[in-house]
Amino acid sequence: MPEIANDRKVFTLLEVSKSVQKTIAERYKSTFWVKAEMNKLNYYSHSGHCYPELVEKQNGKVIAQIKSNLWREDFDNINRNFLKTLKEPLRDGIKILFLAKINFDPIHGLSLQIIDIDPSFTLGDLEKEKRETIENLKKENIFALNKSTQLPLLPKRIAIISVETSKGYIDFLQVLESNAWNYKFFHFLFPSLLQGEKAVQGISTQLKRIEKVIHHFDVVAIIRGGGGDVGLSCYNNYELAKAVANFPIPIITGIGHATNETVCEMVSYQNAITPTKIAEFLIQKFHNFSVPVEKAKELIIYKSKRLLSEEKTKVQSELKLFRSVTETIIQKNRNELDGAKKIIRQHLLFIFKTQSNDVNSYKEQLFKLSIIQLKQNALILQQLEGNLAMRTNLKLNQETIQLENLERNIQILDPINILKRGFSITRFNGKAVKESNEVSEGDVVETQLYSGKISSSIKNKNNG
Amino acid sequence: MDSINYQMAFEELKTIVAEIEQGEISVDQLSEKVKRATQLIKICKAKLSATEEDVNEILKDLQS
Repeated sequence: MPEIANDRKVFTLLEVSKSVQKTIAERYKSTFWVKAEMNKLNYYSHSGHCYPELVEKQNGKVIAQIKSNLWREDFDNINRNFLKTLKEPLRDGIKILFLAKINFDPIHGLSLQIIDIDPSFTLGDLEKEKRETIENLKKENIFALNKSTQLPLLPKRIAIISVETSKGYIDFLQVLESNAWNYKFFHFLFPSLLQGEKAVQGISTQLKRIEKVIHHFDVVAIIRGGGGDVGLSCYNNYELAKAVANFPIPIITGIGHATNETVCEMVSYQNAITPTKIAEFLIQKFHNFSVPVEKAKELIIYKSKRLLSEEKTKVQSELKLFRSVTETIIQKNRNELDGAKKIIRQHLLFIFKTQSNDVNSYKEQLFKLSIIQLKQNALILQQLEGNLAMRTNLKLNQETIQLENLERNIQILDPINILKRGFSITRFNGKAVKESNEVSEGDVVETQLYSGKISSSIKNKNNG
Repeated sequence: MDSINYQMAFEELKTIVAEIEQGEISVDQLSEKVKRATQLIKICKAKLSATEEDVNEILKDLQS
């Protein structure tokens, strides 16, 4: 009861609070449905209670805000419903339609006690978000951008966005690394949460980091594994889906079997659904490369061998033909040779015979002619012999007569005989002087007489 | 020989195979072509079973 002091009615805080509490309890007896945005869930795991922050926004501005509480039992029921209908737990940042009771507590003040939340309202809202994301991406012409990127022939360098301890990541690596063909992949983990609201930020951040080192990678794998198919609505987030669509190298998603394909999966290069499938997809790419290589090897071996054997056969058949042709030619020539030989022999025999006859006749003729010639020669010889003796005597007589004549002449010509008759020979310098101009006055000349010589010098001379 | 990337190696290999398949290769060229093809197959196979990426390099790039 209020106390009276100085004519004033003074209430205690508790009294006021209780009054408000009473008034509100009387005014708001029933429960009612309210729609609001649940800004924060504020779940306390040790008590299991939640203290959601409820707001109403208009043009992004908060125009109403009330605290609320959601007791453990109600939270569990509601959360179960959500997981069943939405595949999403109750979380921050969703729009909810809830059944509430207004409470006023002297200590905690005004709050709404949430008794139930209708998951279908939230579902509609989430689907609206997804639809809008798709529409926006299509409007901006980036929806199919990642799909149009080029996956290398051998996607061997993989940037993985996952959680190191997740089953999906372990499965993925297991399939990738224990492949029976010894294909070697390079992978690098960019850790991020993969479900719930924090996934948007986490994955976006890691995509940005990968972009920084993009030249080291061929493909990005977003791998989520285990944890059931809840908390996937983050993959419908516009910003995240946009980051995926815009990513410069192919992104392959393996975030599990969602009831509905999320936008990120739709815009990714390939939605392999499970981590194992991503690994198989990549291995298949290696096969696509390896199998033709292997086939090429076999084909080259086969074709080369065949080509060689064909050529060998060709050569052999040519050889055979050549041999048979040459043998024919040789045989033919040999036959011709034999024939020619025979003909030559016959001809030779004939020629020899004729020649031999000729020779015989020549021999006789020669013999006869020789005898005749010999006889003639003997006759001539006899005549010559006779001639020779006769002519020799003749010649000798002639010569003797001539000689006697000469002897006589010579005796007449001998200078002694002339000198005897008083002639003399005048010599100058040993040479007989026949004309006066052969000597000059004063020259000493020698004069030979029949007996003795005199020397005289020329006094004068008369030419003429 | 290693500077050739697998795409190029693969394309060249396909060309040689096509040539061989179409019988465009004479015995004279055969040994040379087969030698080249063997080389290419070796390169392709090596690419399948090797990784050249360096983790330290990536970490360095991430920090820069």
